[in-house]
Amino acid sequence: MSIATTHPAEHHADHHPSGMLRWLTTTNHKDIGTMYLTFSLIMFFVGGAMILAVRAELWQPGLQLMQPEFFNQLIGVHALVMIFAALMPAATGFANWMIPLMIGAPDMALPRLNNWGFWILPPAAILLTLPFTLALMGIGDGAIATGWTFYAPLSVQGGMGVDFAILSVHMLGISSIMGSINIIVTIFNMRAPGMTMMKLPLFAWGWLITAFLLIATLPVLAGAVTMLLTDRHFGTHFFDAAGGGDPILFQHLFWFFGHPEVYILLLPVWGLMPHVLSTFTRKPTYGYKAQVYSFIAIGLLSVVVWAHHFFTVGLPVPALIYFMFSTMLISLPLAVLFFCWIATMWKGAMTFETPMLFAVGFIVLFGIAGLTGLILADVAADAQYHHSYFVVAHFHYALFAGGIMGVMTGVYYWLPKWTGHMYSEKLGKWHFWLTVVSFNLTFIPQFFLGLAGMPRRIPDYALQFAEFNAISTVGAFILGISQLLFAWNIWLCVRGGPKAEGRVWEGAEGLEWELSSPPPHHSWETQPVVK
Amino acid sequence: MAPAVSEPFSGDDLARRRAASRRLGWAIGIAVLALYIIGLFFKR
Repeated sequence: MSIATTHPAEHHADHHPSGMLRWLTTTNHKDIGTMYLTFSLIMFFVGGAMILAVRAELWQPGLQLMQPEFFNQLIGVHALVMIFAALMPAATGFANWMIPLMIGAPDMALPRLNNWGFWILPPAAILLTLPFTLALMGIGDGAIATGWTFYAPLSVQGGMGVDFAILSVHMLGISSIMGSINIIVTIFNMRAPGMTMMKLPLFAWGWLITAFLLIATLPVLAGAVTMLLTDRHFGTHFFDAAGGGDPILFQHLFWFFGHPEVYILLLPVWGLMPHVLSTFTRKPTYGYKAQVYSFIAIGLLSVVVWAHHFFTVGLPVPALIYFMFSTMLISLPLAVLFFCWIATMWKGAMTFETPMLFAVGFIVLFGIAGLTGLILADVAADAQYHHSYFVVAHFHYALFAGGIMGVMTGVYYWLPKWTGHMYSEKLGKWHFWLTVVSFNLTFIPQFFLGLAGMPRRIPDYALQFAEFNAISTVGAFILGISQLLFAWNIWLCVRGGPKAEGRVWEGAEGLEWELSSPPPHHSWETQPVVK
Repeated sequence: MAPAVSEPFSGDDLARRRAASRRLGWAIGIAVLALYIIGLFFKR
């Protein structure tokens, strides 16, 4: 990248509304990206507060703070909030902010669709959490208490919180589909001249596969919860065995979405990692094509492995064997990604700024998620571990260490680009170390609890599990409180701080670093040519 | 990858790209809707 384009923001006389109207009506990809990220951060704390209440209840055996029904509601809404309202919007915020900058586009291809996609989210989040408030006023019996999986027949029999959640999931799904359509058409149609698909930044590749997965699987989830709604209120019996339906059908439909959803949450992060590793090792990304083909392979495999989430339900043996081996097959392209990340770092001139710390932490901890996932993919082993705390620990290594720490990597990496200011490295490093230590303090004991047989989703437990639960609760509170450092650091960076250059990081390569920090209101008015 | 400043995005070029995006967007949207509606008529 030898020739820098200069786009000083002050050269643009942008006439756009100010105040609240600006945010309501904006079609600018950076504004919308900022809204997604802000919304995500708020919901991250909402979902986090819910699970801290759960961990407080689990501090010792017996019922301490709440009734089991409320405990179940907190767990279910925590998961739905973290997945649909924290992690997914964070990744969409990244896409909105960075994909046009990375591919040399002036904006997303469909800016108004972009605005609608975002503004569906806040009402959906309110719908999801509103039953808590209504219950306080004596209306209804609280939020959805089925866990995030809506399993029938429990969800068919549940209170009105289930209806709120069904409507909310429909809206969240529509928002995600709008976002996905926009990302696909932007990548296909708005690339700068010379940027062929095999020169596309890996972050954009990761998001492209994510968007196709969302398009393929969200309608199935929407269909499943619509059928649930009609079972609840319109006399159908899709999932009611007494009426000729099948509750297991719901599990098939849900997990046809639910398993790819894991990759939907992780692929954008996997796409981001090579950028960060390459920047802070000052080396080109190792194995670009291998990573692209791995993304595609993971995307394809992710839609054919869903039944490993319910091996214990009584599937035919051939189905068990098929789903076991197909699940294990995913570890191959994933191993290719790990190899490429490590090979990128190999003999690099590494420095450990906060984004690099989070990236390395991600690789190590997400590796644990992968290895414990292999254990769960084994039908015989899964019979022991299914519905235990082993599963809880496993998927938190995937979705917190993999997903949320990946998002944090991206935030620290791009925050100076977005705001034009450097964040505090000191606070960032404190945040990293507190997060890593407290995360492991929270979830390593949960592996042992699961191995010892403690089931998930219970507010009370046998005395033998007390010590590990107490340790886990201490870890969870440190983890939760240390995230305030993250929010504080972001706030300080938005408010001011040392000025960031266009190319924020010495080793950074890519079109996005050719623009000023923050980039001008219209990102690329002069189209770059990629050679 | 070496970027060089080319020329401003022309109005025509942007309009062409956006029209192509709209067409593809509608096609994907219709496919999503079809998947959703057809799924409701699936029988075990």
